[in-house]
Amino acid sequence: MKVYMQPIESIVWFTKEGIPHPIRFRIQAEDQTYRVIKVSRIITRQEEKVAGNRMLIFRCQSEINGLLRVFELKYEINTCKWYLYKI
Amino acid sequence: MTKRIIMHIDVNSAYLSWEAAYRLQQGSSLDLRTIPSAVGGNPETRHGIILAKSIPAKKYKIQTGEALFAARLKCPHLVIVPPNYTLYRQCSQALKVVLENYSPLIQQYSIDEFFLDYTGMEKVLGDPLSKAYEIKERIKNELGFTVNIGISCNKLLAKMGSELEKPDKVHTLFPEEIPVKMWPLPVEELFGVGRATSRKLRDRGIRTIGEIAAQEPGYLKRFLKNYGILLWNYANGREDSPVRLSGTIPIKGLGNSTTIPFDVEDQRTAHLVLLSLAETVGMRLRQANLCAGLVAVSLKTNEFLCFSHQRKLYLPTDCTSAIHQVACELFDELWQGEPIRHLGLRVAELCSSDFFQSSLFEKDTEKQRRLDKAVDAIRLRYGSHAVFRSVFLHSGLKALSGGVLESEEYPMMSSIL
Repeated sequence: MKVYMQPIESIVWFTKEGIPHPIRFRIQAEDQTYRVIKVSRIITRQEEKVAGNRMLIFRCQSEINGLLRVFELKYEINTCKWYLYKI
Repeated sequence: MTKRIIMHIDVNSAYLSWEAAYRLQQGSSLDLRTIPSAVGGNPETRHGIILAKSIPAKKYKIQTGEALFAARLKCPHLVIVPPNYTLYRQCSQALKVVLENYSPLIQQYSIDEFFLDYTGMEKVLGDPLSKAYEIKERIKNELGFTVNIGISCNKLLAKMGSELEKPDKVHTLFPEEIPVKMWPLPVEELFGVGRATSRKLRDRGIRTIGEIAAQEPGYLKRFLKNYGILLWNYANGREDSPVRLSGTIPIKGLGNSTTIPFDVEDQRTAHLVLLSLAETVGMRLRQANLCAGLVAVSLKTNEFLCFSHQRKLYLPTDCTSAIHQVACELFDELWQGEPIRHLGLRVAELCSSDFFQSSLFEKDTEKQRRLDKAVDAIRLRYGSHAVFRSVFLHSGLKALSGGVLESEEYPMMSSIL
């Protein structure tokens, strides 16, 4: 996997306990077109506190271009921003 | 009493490490710590000095506090990043949260330094040395920056210990290790020996900490006064201040200063800068529930000459306007018309603002105090720039100045252990 750290737009549901579950997200390609990716499975979720900045890292799996790909999403709690971290 | 165990936790090149860790988290592929890099102020507003540097930058003999221009001469490919005080504050807070797992008694000594009282904790958590390694590793893994930890039986030795060899190390400096680990070091390494004291010591042929320790205390006292005795005790590892919780050191004075982006050449602008400083000082004074009995003004000219002037007040005050008025009077007496680079305002002789002696011959300040209180409340709720004086409109000056973070106290260095 390679680090991308691209900001993304996403649809997420939160549990009563406040745990986010990404459902789908869309990413803008270089030719300004949007690409929607549905998250089929969340494999792991872990918290990161680097530099005191809390972030949640989701390792997910989806079908992209006919291939089952594993990728990581990052949620920055402080700013409520979602990123495509690694793919 | 059982022997105390104190740890001193010190972040390695704090500002730079924090910035580097943050950038890595944000997806940067470059670790600033591995290249010659530095955190530096903005040269356009004349804050262009090196605040922190990476270890590779140290090899180019770049020093903290030197001008960015001078640093670039030494190392042309030096990467300079701007400071981000909110981030530092956040990192410092996260570090504190980790440390709180290891002892209930923690003192934040500065933004990047903590004392941790481990006395008695060995019964719960085990051997301090292995715990120190655990703390160090945990901070590295969780927070992404490295620390040095010094362990000893008092704060001074713990602090000296954490400064022995960097980065990412744990050192012990117990009294029996002093002759080997501390005495061979040059005098400048001793806590409390700065430029002035080091010169006095070196003029008398005292070059190492061991040589201070070996001196007759009376001899040191002759030229350093009581401070000589303190240094002699420090050199011998004797120091017994407690690990204090924050806010337990009484405030003796309070001040703010600012380097102005341009040279001030007229009285009106200088008075405005003083007002913006008075706003900050006054706010901090009222927040601490104190009144000041003395106001001091300092200025630095474009040729780096410094002047200062102070005056006692008849009546202690915490009013922004009253402080500003005295500051302006002092400034007018002090200023000879030179272009001004830096202005400072300080208050001292503090007393509680709850009760103080009032005077029949002074202006009634009750109304003014109510106004200040209202302004403070608005700023607290809606931000420090929610309300400001109209004289600052289109003046090109900040309505509040001094300090690095607005509306928040930022822990600075201290000489009191």
